[in-house]
Amino acid sequence: MRALLVALALLLGACAGAQDDKTTITFWDNNGGPGRTPIYQELIKRFEAANPDVEVEYVGIPSSSVQQKYDTAIAGGSTPDVGGVTTSYLAHLAGQDALEQVDERLEGSSLKGKLIPGLLETVRQTSSDGKLYAVPASGNMDVVWYRSDRFEEKGITEPVTWDELVQAATELTDPAANQYGFTIRGGAGSVFQLLSEAYSYSGVEKFYDGGKSTVADPRNAELVRKVADLYKKATPEADVNNNYTQMVAQFTGGTVAMMHHNLGSTADVMKTLGPERVAAMPLPKGPSGKRTVVPNPTDGFAVFKGGKNTDAAWRFVEFLVSAESNGYWNEKVGQIPANTDVRGAEWIQKNPAVKMALGVLEDPATVLVPAPVHLPEYSSITKTDTEPLYQKVLLGQMPAQEFLDQLATKLTTAQQDWEKRK
Amino acid sequence: MTQTLVRPEVALDPPPPPPRRRRQRDPSRYFRLHLPLVLYLLFTLIPFYWMLVFAFRPAGETALVPWPITFEHFDTVWNGIGFGLFFQNSLIIAVGTLVVVTVFALMGGYALARFRFRGQRVFLLALLCTQFIPGAMLLIPLFVIFKGAGLLNSLTGLVIADTAFQLPLALILMSGFVRNVPVELEEAAMVDGCTRLRAFFAVTLPQLRPALVAVGSFAFIGAWNNFLFALMFASKQDKFTLPVGLSYALGEFNTDFGALAAGGVVAAVPVVLVFAVVQRFLVQGLSAGAVKG
Repeated sequence: MRALLVALALLLGACAGAQDDKTTITFWDNNGGPGRTPIYQELIKRFEAANPDVEVEYVGIPSSSVQQKYDTAIAGGSTPDVGGVTTSYLAHLAGQDALEQVDERLEGSSLKGKLIPGLLETVRQTSSDGKLYAVPASGNMDVVWYRSDRFEEKGITEPVTWDELVQAATELTDPAANQYGFTIRGGAGSVFQLLSEAYSYSGVEKFYDGGKSTVADPRNAELVRKVADLYKKATPEADVNNNYTQMVAQFTGGTVAMMHHNLGSTADVMKTLGPERVAAMPLPKGPSGKRTVVPNPTDGFAVFKGGKNTDAAWRFVEFLVSAESNGYWNEKVGQIPANTDVRGAEWIQKNPAVKMALGVLEDPATVLVPAPVHLPEYSSITKTDTEPLYQKVLLGQMPAQEFLDQLATKLTTAQQDWEKRK
Repeated sequence: MTQTLVRPEVALDPPPPPPRRRRQRDPSRYFRLHLPLVLYLLFTLIPFYWMLVFAFRPAGETALVPWPITFEHFDTVWNGIGFGLFFQNSLIIAVGTLVVVTVFALMGGYALARFRFRGQRVFLLALLCTQFIPGAMLLIPLFVIFKGAGLLNSLTGLVIADTAFQLPLALILMSGFVRNVPVELEEAAMVDGCTRLRAFFAVTLPQLRPALVAVGSFAFIGAWNNFLFALMFASKQDKFTLPVGLSYALGEFNTDFGALAAGGVVAAVPVVLVFAVVQRFLVQGLSAGAVKG
């Protein structure tokens, strides 16, 4: 009897020991949903097979509420081990001292020297101390989607400059047939897109010069006027209220021939129109001939300080950004892989939009002009404060220069306040 | 001499029918009353039409009538997003909240209506004031309390959170309903030998049926629709609820309208059914509480 009890105790002890050996880490996906969750589930399966001592618990957070979820978790001291983040709220999380600084880990990692420098820089610029608080995984870039079939019909070649784009938009417009050459995002999210357009035209290389915002540069105002001039002449009248969804609906519905958005709409556009009817080009250049790009928020992964297993968490991050996983992920979502080893992958050669964006991003002549997404007020300034003003510009009720002056003043003040708080 | 009384013919005629009111109605009534009501009805129903069209129409089609219908979006939400589990969680939380809120509101509402105690008015005012506090403000304090109590990531925790949020209004409503039941009825029962508890169960409770339905429905729907608490107090995929599942269809760069609409149908069906069953009591209960409460 005693022997039986001893054996049972040993068995139970062995079971408990076996359970303790396995480390569980929690991973929060910052854009959970039917599109991305299965991709992560596959990657987690691969990671667990390669790392039998670690178990990953996946939690998909809806993208619209992810910042609030992180804030609550940080305030309540209940953060995940690894979290998906974008540069649009990275500074906010790092500012709460919630994230591990990963420069040193990256230095000793297999990822060293394998990440696109431009994306690394974009992530680094969001922090007040110039340190890295997330590892970039996916880049996104503004592109102009255009109906290659309609361009071919009219014998129009892909525009390289803004003047050529305006010309093409005019030629492709036939209001009687409900056909328009271009669509303007005049509603939610308009100013962020407009700034990308303005800097691509002006060739201004810095968002701030001597602490002052360069947004009100007369060359930027020139572009705003050019776009506003297209309104109703080469765009639908409803564009003044256009948000992303309406813009995509107009483009995929066949009403408009060109739409400025980013690689995020690849799935929607390709699913509806197919590669034989649609193509992507970078935002055109201005008279300076320079390629100046305002980068989109970069997606990446952060290790949270509050997690109990930061080493296992880092291993998972390394795995997610490794060439194989990073390639698999970006192929599925149609974005720019941060890992440079993925460059030559077959799928990139077959995806002209990503190939083109990767080419622009890695071109030494390209100048990145990061928007100050690190400013806590950036979102309210470019949305609540100035989107209605841009609508006034479109409706001819406000001069473009006055609109940009107001925007620049707010951005300058916000930057100065941020510098003081640093 | 006998006289035969012959009823005059006139007397046999039935009295002339009262003039029918409808004939006298002003025809403009249709424009003043019916037309606005029909327009309002359309305004209310169009979102439902939109939801049904998108839910049953294949992706990428633009027909106004979804034919042939497809169930692909329901497959996406049920199997792809995992609505099966979310539905079960929502149901457990909503029914749990309904039961707890109704029982507590009944007890508290009775006490507020039948007893006078020190600080009663202040207590009622405090209950009313809680309604001005948005849920988002309670989030972090509640989160910290729940974490300390080990209630995060549990359906019980969500029932407690929803109950805390719903109970003040339920108490105020219920006390109004109880006041409407004449206290004399209970007193009569007590004169006949009932204890207060027996009098309550035998006399007052049956009168409160509409109130129970009204308060219970509010609690059920409030908990069923609560997105914020479900997302914030749960950090495990298997503890999320339907509203969280619905928001999965709204991605950062794309919106799956088919899945959103199909999820909306799944989420709306229980609420519509609850209303269909209880709406008679609900209207009765609401008006009683509103006028005399």
